[in-house]
Amino acid sequence: MNSFFHVAPATPFFLKAELGERFCLFYAPPPGWEYRGVLIYVHPFGDEMNKSRRMAAMQARAFAAAGFGVLQIDLFGCGDSSGEFGNASWNIWKRDLAAAWSWLEDRVAAPISLWGLRLGALLALDFARSSENAIDRIILWQPVISGESFLTRFLRLRLANEILLGEAGTEKNTGTNAMRNALRAGNPLEVAGYELAPDMAAAIDILQAAELLVTRCPVHWFEVVAEPGRSMTAAGAKVVTAWKQNGVDLHLQLVPCLPFWATQEIAECPELVLATADIFAEQAR
Amino acid sequence: MNFEERALALQCNDSWMYGILSLPERTASRGVLIVVGGPQYRVGSHRQFTLLARHLASIGIPVLRFDYRGMGDSEGAPRTFEDLEDDLHCAIERFFKEVPALSNLVIWGLCDAASAALFHAHRDRRITGLVLLNPWVRTDQGAAKAYLKHYYLARILDPEFWRKVWSGRFNYANATQSLVKTVEKALPGRKIAAASDKAGDRSCDFASLPERMLDALSRYKGKILLITSGDDLTAQEFLELVKSSREWQRLLAAPGVSRLNLPEANHTFSRRAWRDEVAVGTSDWIQSW
Repeated sequence: MNSFFHVAPATPFFLKAELGERFCLFYAPPPGWEYRGVLIYVHPFGDEMNKSRRMAAMQARAFAAAGFGVLQIDLFGCGDSSGEFGNASWNIWKRDLAAAWSWLEDRVAAPISLWGLRLGALLALDFARSSENAIDRIILWQPVISGESFLTRFLRLRLANEILLGEAGTEKNTGTNAMRNALRAGNPLEVAGYELAPDMAAAIDILQAAELLVTRCPVHWFEVVAEPGRSMTAAGAKVVTAWKQNGVDLHLQLVPCLPFWATQEIAECPELVLATADIFAEQAR
Repeated sequence: MNFEERALALQCNDSWMYGILSLPERTASRGVLIVVGGPQYRVGSHRQFTLLARHLASIGIPVLRFDYRGMGDSEGAPRTFEDLEDDLHCAIERFFKEVPALSNLVIWGLCDAASAALFHAHRDRRITGLVLLNPWVRTDQGAAKAYLKHYYLARILDPEFWRKVWSGRFNYANATQSLVKTVEKALPGRKIAAASDKAGDRSCDFASLPERMLDALSRYKGKILLITSGDDLTAQEFLELVKSSREWQRLLAAPGVSRLNLPEANHTFSRRAWRDEVAVGTSDWIQSW
């Protein structure tokens, strides 16, 4: 599989941006090819970004081999970019995507698409809603459905360290509630090695996939399920219905795979890479 | 002190690897190569390696961290820590080329990267120091021993454990079963001993991980800083191994070996206080010789 997708090396570089630099990796089509399009990859939150790095690279190489450029950007305070995670904000991240967009627009004359994973999927949608740029399509990998439950699960990582065996249900609830109260009072909180700023927590808490409607370009939603024949979660299905009722040009695909953004060891899902690359193959036919 | 960060594409055999060089304006002659361990890429869990590199560069120490083949952004098929010889060699060659002022370097590795660093260190004279954090010496038997001692003992001493027992919420059946399995591994019975005796006839090529690490340690002539976490089974397993072997104890008692233990810390040093203690411990040690 690797040799099949082997193309020219990607170009790593630092992009000057607000408050320093952003690490970027640009994957170009094979030399001499014309760009069929370009994509901006929007990574997930915290260690989910680390765990999915390999899959992002596999997908980017597959896109490049098919004639698409991919710009991977580490958002402010993440990965190799400038800044501390605790100083990042949702709006800085949206402006980072705008900077990535300009960089691409200046260099490549081809339609630009967005591709986001987990919380990055919601950031891509939110960016698309507030941007006037012509977006070719949006690819979502396992979008977070509710920012509130996502944040609760993140906060529980801290509880897991605090409560032995973490079995008492009531303690859990008061635990994350107490943490939310501390955040609301303006105190940053260290969770699983990440300093969570009150503003960041508040921004995530109010995110609802169902409300992030994008109707001006096709949206391709890839949902990973445990095994073939399984359906998506009820919460996810509700969002699908809401989007369709509101005129989103939605294409949903379920792919059986391990949840590679959260597995203990690095997991690959070639099926997802092939299914995702296929979107553009169909376009060419 | 000012430093710049340089994004690098490094060639290794038929693959491209990606890395970040943190380069101080006025650079020391001793650099640090951070090698990634576990299921991580070059930024490390909760960005520990990114922040460590910036700390070291800010006091004049150049740092290279990279994704070996099959990991993170780098090309190639996934590989284990036992198969990093070429990747380390390619990264070191490039590091010396990028920073002409370098004369020697320290490899910094956490978990299985510490084991990989130890395997590689005696093969390259330019490697004068190793920072080994929670080295990985996993064998089934050693893991079970560490688990028994530190997990069960901690639980038995914990009031919460007894509250559960008294309130009837403790699952005896499950606990007993897993305890029995663990004990079987820790105290190999006749069956297991007989099987390993047979294997012993052709054992030369199949030395266990701890044996090969001991061999690598005995060949290495440079300095070592061993950093361990109190709340980490990997570290406990390593320390148990050392306790049970005179040879390990002798080698680690050498004057070139320093130690730092963080009694509260977990495997990946997931609090700012622990991360900072490791960063300062590393830079102090590098500047002390």
